[in-house]
Amino acid sequence: MGAAAAAAAAVRVLVVDDSPVDRRVVERLLRTHCGDGSGDAGAAPFHVTAVDSGKKAMELLGLEGRRRKQLSPSAAADADEQAVDIVLTDYCMPEMTGYDLLKAIKALGSPNSIPVVVMSSENEPQRISRCLTAGAEDFILKPLKINDVQRLRKCSGARPKAATGDRDNDDDDRCSNTVISSSRTKLQPSDHTAKKVATPEQKTSHLAGLAMVMNASSLEVTHYFQFIFQFIFKFILIAYAVLCLSQLLHRWSNGSFLSLWCA
Amino acid sequence: MAAAPLREQLSALLSSMFSQGLVDEQFEQLQMLQDEGGTPGFVAEVVTLFCDDAERIIAEIATLLEQPIVSFDKVDAFVHQLKGSSASVGAQKVKFTCMQFRQFCQEKSRDGCLMALAVVRNEFYDLRNKFQTMLQLEQQIQAYDPKQQ
Repeated sequence: MGAAAAAAAAVRVLVVDDSPVDRRVVERLLRTHCGDGSGDAGAAPFHVTAVDSGKKAMELLGLEGRRRKQLSPSAAADADEQAVDIVLTDYCMPEMTGYDLLKAIKALGSPNSIPVVVMSSENEPQRISRCLTAGAEDFILKPLKINDVQRLRKCSGARPKAATGDRDNDDDDRCSNTVISSSRTKLQPSDHTAKKVATPEQKTSHLAGLAMVMNASSLEVTHYFQFIFQFIFKFILIAYAVLCLSQLLHRWSNGSFLSLWCA
Repeated sequence: MAAAPLREQLSALLSSMFSQGLVDEQFEQLQMLQDEGGTPGFVAEVVTLFCDDAERIIAEIATLLEQPIVSFDKVDAFVHQLKGSSASVGAQKVKFTCMQFRQFCQEKSRDGCLMALAVVRNEFYDLRNKFQTMLQLEQQIQAYDPKQQ
């Protein structure tokens, strides 16, 4: 019964990455830092499923979706307990990118939107912004570090308990399956009400994402201003040259040029 | 007792790999994951996966660069993949050479890509030799002292 309870409390992570090396490392990282005595006592363990493509991830998630459709609404909520709690996907993958997978997951079914965290080795502000705008919970730079596990845990359980209204920061509470189905309604990007009741952790992750975008784009802003200044300087030079030329032409047309020449 | 000199040899090898920049702190993290997770063969597994994957990718890149018309997008995708897995195992030098390789891909320079491929290949082979030595030493140490795991 203890094992069953532990298994029920586990955070089910679907790792999607076409690189076998990355899959193995991420899997090991999540399993090691899951509260099995590796230091994070009390935290729910991670149950990791790894696939090598977005297509396989969709098949796995689609099976769960079809199963839910066959069940009654009350049973559908229970079926969510068998589903994936969070998807951790690489951005760059052949055929179906992590971004495509993210959009497909968010389009599956609004009440049951699974949180998606995107990871990439490229620190591109546009990429980060695009993913966060599309509904990603977080964007993590590869290779994953130990402190990224905590971010993932918060993203998987960032929704507060609907039953108790408890908004504690305890990871154990956030990993409870009873939270997931009813609190998924708060993850819709298009739902302004959901945004208003976003948890502090969600806000923090969004702010962190914005900070990443801004920090990464600060260099681009500097380059942008440099370009603007150069353009203005060149424009002034050209304008002055045109003005001088027009003056010369004006004097020539008036004959003053010839008079100067004769003089 | 007999494992002591082997351990010293292994320690010296790892120190030289770090000091030469062959591996970085990510490799340290892999070692920590192995130690903390109680999975003795984890580093060996990941290193083997990386070597196999890298060899495959380098072969694919070489094939693409031999084509009359080079698809630099495909080459870049493979180099990106190699860069990613290099970063994940902590293969710092290979990662940096991949970053330079991508520059040539973006410039669509065939000669540059061929040159970069040679550099990547050399760095990878150098690292692979070190990894193989490391794994052999670990196996020998384990043979002397299997309870040490």
